[in-house]
Amino acid sequence: MAVEQENGDPGKLRPTIEEDISEEMKIKQKKYLRGEGANLEVLQDKKLKGQLAARERLFDKSAMIAARTEKWLMPTEGGYMEPEGIEKTWQIKQESIAREVDISSSKNQYDIVLPELGPYSLDYTSSGRYMALAGRKGHLAIIDVKSMDVIREIQVRETVRDVVFLHNELFFAAAQKKYTYIYNREGTELHCLKEHGPVVKLQFLKNHFLLASMNKFGQLRYQDVTTGVMIGSYRTGQGRCDVMQVNPFNGVVASGHSGGTVNMWKPTSGAPLVKMLCHQGPVMSLAFHPNGHLMATAGMDKKIKLWDLRKFEVLQQIPGHAKTMNFSQKGLLASATGSFVQILGDLNGSNKYSRYMNHSMAKGYQIQEVVFRPYEDVLGIGHSMGWSSILIPGAGEPNFDSWVANPYETTKQRREKEIRSLLDKLPPESVMLDPSKIGTLRPTWKKNKPTKLEREAELEAAVAAAKSIPLKNKTKGKNKPSKKLKKKYEAVDRAKRPFLEKQIEEENPSKKKMKTESVVDDELPKSLQRFARKKPAT
Amino acid sequence: MADTKRKNRDTNTKMARKSKTPRSSDKKVMKMGGDKRKKSGPHLPNAMKREIELLNPKIGSDDEIDSDEEFAGKDVYEYEEEIPEEESKKNKRYDPVENFEFELPKDFKDENVDSDEVDSDDFDDTAQNLGDDGEEDDDGRHARMLQEITGLPSDAFGGKKLKNNIVVSEAYPENEYNPSGDVLDGNGHISIQDLLDPLRGKSGFSKLQKNVDRIETKQMSIHAPLRNTDRKKLERKAAYEQSKKYITKWEPLIKRNREAPTIFFDEKTDLNFSTVGAIASEFEPRTEFEKQMAALVNNSEVAEAHRKDGARLLELNKVTEEDVKDHQDRLAKMRTLLFRHEMKAKRIKKIKSKTYHRLMKKDRLKAEAHQIETDPEAAKKLAMKQEYERIQERATQKHNNNNKWAKRILERGLAVQDDGTRAAISEQLHRKALLTRKMNSVRDDSNSDDSSDSDADDDVSGGSDQEGKLKMLERAKQKTLKVLEDDEIPNSGLLSLPFMARGLEKKKAAAEEEAKLALQEYEASIKQPEDTDNLETGTSVGRRVFGAPKQQIQDSSEKIRSNNYYGNTDSEDDYETKEDVDVRHAKKSYVRKDVTVNPSVLRDKSQIGHDDLFKSFDEIVKDPGTKTTYDVALFANNSWQKKQNQPRNTEQMKSKTEVDANGKDSLEVMEPALDEQEEAENDSDIEGTIRMVDGILSAVDDSNYELPSQAELIRRAFAGDDVEEEFEKDKEEILNEENPEPEKPMLLPGWGQWTHVQKKRGLPSWMLTEHANAKKKREEALKKRKDAHLKNVIISEKVDKKAEKLHTKTLPYPYTSQEVFEQSIRNPIGPDFNPATAVGPIICPPVVKRPGLIIKPIKVEEMKSYERAVEQKQGGNTRNAKKRKQKS
Repeated sequence: MAVEQENGDPGKLRPTIEEDISEEMKIKQKKYLRGEGANLEVLQDKKLKGQLAARERLFDKSAMIAARTEKWLMPTEGGYMEPEGIEKTWQIKQESIAREVDISSSKNQYDIVLPELGPYSLDYTSSGRYMALAGRKGHLAIIDVKSMDVIREIQVRETVRDVVFLHNELFFAAAQKKYTYIYNREGTELHCLKEHGPVVKLQFLKNHFLLASMNKFGQLRYQDVTTGVMIGSYRTGQGRCDVMQVNPFNGVVASGHSGGTVNMWKPTSGAPLVKMLCHQGPVMSLAFHPNGHLMATAGMDKKIKLWDLRKFEVLQQIPGHAKTMNFSQKGLLASATGSFVQILGDLNGSNKYSRYMNHSMAKGYQIQEVVFRPYEDVLGIGHSMGWSSILIPGAGEPNFDSWVANPYETTKQRREKEIRSLLDKLPPESVMLDPSKIGTLRPTWKKNKPTKLEREAELEAAVAAAKSIPLKNKTKGKNKPSKKLKKKYEAVDRAKRPFLEKQIEEENPSKKKMKTESVVDDELPKSLQRFARKKPAT
Repeated sequence: MADTKRKNRDTNTKMARKSKTPRSSDKKVMKMGGDKRKKSGPHLPNAMKREIELLNPKIGSDDEIDSDEEFAGKDVYEYEEEIPEEESKKNKRYDPVENFEFELPKDFKDENVDSDEVDSDDFDDTAQNLGDDGEEDDDGRHARMLQEITGLPSDAFGGKKLKNNIVVSEAYPENEYNPSGDVLDGNGHISIQDLLDPLRGKSGFSKLQKNVDRIETKQMSIHAPLRNTDRKKLERKAAYEQSKKYITKWEPLIKRNREAPTIFFDEKTDLNFSTVGAIASEFEPRTEFEKQMAALVNNSEVAEAHRKDGARLLELNKVTEEDVKDHQDRLAKMRTLLFRHEMKAKRIKKIKSKTYHRLMKKDRLKAEAHQIETDPEAAKKLAMKQEYERIQERATQKHNNNNKWAKRILERGLAVQDDGTRAAISEQLHRKALLTRKMNSVRDDSNSDDSSDSDADDDVSGGSDQEGKLKMLERAKQKTLKVLEDDEIPNSGLLSLPFMARGLEKKKAAAEEEAKLALQEYEASIKQPEDTDNLETGTSVGRRVFGAPKQQIQDSSEKIRSNNYYGNTDSEDDYETKEDVDVRHAKKSYVRKDVTVNPSVLRDKSQIGHDDLFKSFDEIVKDPGTKTTYDVALFANNSWQKKQNQPRNTEQMKSKTEVDANGKDSLEVMEPALDEQEEAENDSDIEGTIRMVDGILSAVDDSNYELPSQAELIRRAFAGDDVEEEFEKDKEEILNEENPEPEKPMLLPGWGQWTHVQKKRGLPSWMLTEHANAKKKREEALKKRKDAHLKNVIISEKVDKKAEKLHTKTLPYPYTSQEVFEQSIRNPIGPDFNPATAVGPIICPPVVKRPGLIIKPIKVEEMKSYERAVEQKQGGNTRNAKKRKQKS
């Protein structure tokens, strides 16, 4: 008896603790589950139901294991700022941050002054280890930002408008005055992409290995960098455009135009997927949240708008100009105008973005581009007098996945990863608004019925084709002209037949269908439906 | 039918009233009649029966008529063999009778199964009724007597009476089969009364009597037996219940297997050798050769040499100079021989003489014919070929004078034709006859061969003619002895070569051994028949004669075969001699083996020589190839590099300093103005700095950048003016493009206008309705669009044909709902997306089985449901119990 009592007590206590843990875990588990399971009650098929239920249980288990191992795999937590009392986060200056943080972090606060070669634009590799710099007046450089080594610096002696890394730090593309060039890390020019024309803005689609460019004439080009094939070349038809950004979630490229519209493109079609009027004036800049559901646009109408891309509706409007914007990995939004940088964030988890931090550059510095450095709480700012780097606590993802992007990558790992990513390369067709729809049932669209004229033309073409088939010379008895003619007629009839059948089918839909249509009478309860007067379908 | 019967019965009753013949005999006859009828097969016609009945009048009573209905009911199933009512317990009246039947012989049962039994039974009833009067008195008296003696109520004797019942019943069949004299005479009926009479006075008689009375008075209606279909239905039902019960025990097992996502077939069973190495390790040398090989392979010296640096291996593998020289000489000779052979073949091939070739052909055909006779394989092949040709001929009728040419000739008449044509026609017909003639098919041939073979065998082994056998044995013995004696080695030609000689020697040795063995056998078998008594009568001489020439033919064919094989080599003669020697061996197959083995050795050797010869050349040929390709590659590389370098050089040569001053920068110039407006609203703390910065910036930039053109400036200034209107227009356009507006109804100009009727009426109504419908459709389509409610958004609904391949065309089979399907594929299952421990079960195949494992048929686990429940409970308990144990 005593033993049993002993057993009983912990049994009573255990559930409460377990419940706590399980609830916590369940929240974590949700992160790894891709949405809720389907409602299996709808299913009639018991076998399938059983199978799916078993499968769901497995997925649940998998997610639970993932949630449990999370604390080992993602040990570090993101940084943040904690204001005291009436202090506001945006009042905290970089200098005061520098005093608080460790030495390695404080190394990331610097200004590099390069006054000669004009406003700089930047790009980071996906691991955040390397940075490509492009000075307007022909200065190209690759810098290892971890050690602050300049890996290569070249002067191309012509206007450079944009620079972008390809899949790793070994290659980068620079949009120069006339053409776009691809250089390797050593500064050797590898390719000159003449088809792109004078490119204004470059973007690289990492998963598809596509280089997207927007040139001076508003033409959007996609080029596969592995094979060199031009995948698509489309006219936006809305004039010059220097606002272009790729949605990291689905690879859709968005371009902002002077008409206040934002167009979203995919490589395989010339018509924009989505065309939305975002601003009254020209669109100044564009940025996508890494999760792909949030887009920020800034227009000349002095508005910054946050859009929900699932519903294509405005979530929030913030007054202000922004010449350049960028989302960090954790969802902070940096916007810059003139020499003033503002960081917005949804601090309390709601989708309302509010001011998080401010930073103003020295007088006369004209900011060209702001880019968050991946996996670091660092914001890179390219401006007219060089570039700077400031600390934004809580901007970067604290834990990196070395299979995705590894800041400490060795050469061997890089090579491995290159091969792997090449093997995993996605075809350009897979760029679509909702990539999770891949593999699902093909959406049913209404059949575009050919017009009468088209149909007639088709029929005529078929008849002509049938007539033009040369007849073989047959043996003596079977080669009479009358027989030949007969054969020809038969061939024509055969060609016509499917068209005529189709026509007949359209004109007289089968009686069954008519019946089923006429029977439908929703207002009556089912038991009484049979008494309803049956009207023939109109 | 029924009517006639009724009539029949009426007459019977009348007759019964009139006549007062003894009842018992009457009844018996009736029974017999019933039996007769029952006995299936041919029945007596009704008229005849009536006649018989008239001859043997029976007694019927008045109550007889009452049972007419029954009779009619019965009549329907007259020919169906049914369970007699006594058996199916339908009729209580028969209860005691059933008891009787328990002890009756089996065939007696048939008697009761009577289609007309009611008829006869009725008579029974009547008989009993009639007998009642006298009987009752006796019974009552007896009962009273018993009561008086014992002082007990008469019921108390029930048990005894029952016993007696059984005893009494034995008399019944005896009566049946040993009928009384009356019955045998043909006029006797046996009634129950008759049967009871001998029991009178015995204990329990009164009870029996009572029972009989009761049965007679209480007439119960006899139920008609169940119809065949119904009965079968019941049977099926019972069978179904049974099989259901049987099947249900499988249910849990099947259910479990069906529900299991993965079925594992037991992994514990140990399959034997899984690798080649494992199999090889088990190898044990058995034959002489294998043992020798093993000895060599496992030689300790060699093994040791291997284990060391391997230098000693060379020592062990030492070859003398002479050996090498010998080998080389041999090879050289071989090559020359081959070469000569080749030359000869060439020469022969070039010969154009027809006669020569004719002769050759003749030879060849001859050889073939011989081969057919000797070689069953070849014969079979030939037969097959002939059969095929025949079939083809029969199918195509090619030589049936059906073709154009033949028809034409036949039309003209054969007489008109010249000799050549006639000959051709006749030739064709002959050919057809040849082809279509029914051949002795393959099977026949082989059969005949077999028979002949068996005949030959009979000569040797069969016990039919011992004498012949003895003679054969003697001859064989002599031959083998001869073989053993003469062993010449040819002096010239291929066979004179030392290695060939060696080979021959070896073969000879083997042959000798074999011959010796054979000799022993012969001797043994010669002795045997001498010992045993011979009962042979006659021996067929012809057979023996037949056997000998055959042997000769075989020998010659052997010769020819060898000739053919070698063509016209120099060694031909030698081989013939050799062949002669060999052929004399008893074993044919052995000879053949020799013939086939030798050339292969020869060729191998020659090939080796050839290889040596051409190896160097091969190397020469190969090397330049690789070199050239290498060169090409180099060249390609260079050119490529050159190409690469070119543009770069040109670029560097160009090297101009260019400063871009285009619209992009001019935009920046505009900003300050805007910024100033904005500042008023901005927070106070940043205001100052911005202003300062902007001021400086404008000062700096102005000097650097050019002003954009006037047009550009204007465009920019009014850029955002009519944005919304433009967008709406855009949307309209796109909507029209994607959902085109229906064509307006139109009449052809001049069509129908001359009457002015059309004008008045306007467009025909069907056109209007069509148009309205189309419009409605379009509206609906527009409403269904995703951007229907979003004023400022256009979502393209164009189909991307390239992306179509990324979707499934139709729902995969088990799914019926799209939503469920899409939800089911939402989770990736690969190892990249799931923890390593969870991937396994997710990607586990539905059946896990090791290759080579035999899946045994499913077995039922003999476990009852309650047991399982108990076990489950126990499983939980045992776990707890274990914990408790650990604690305590």
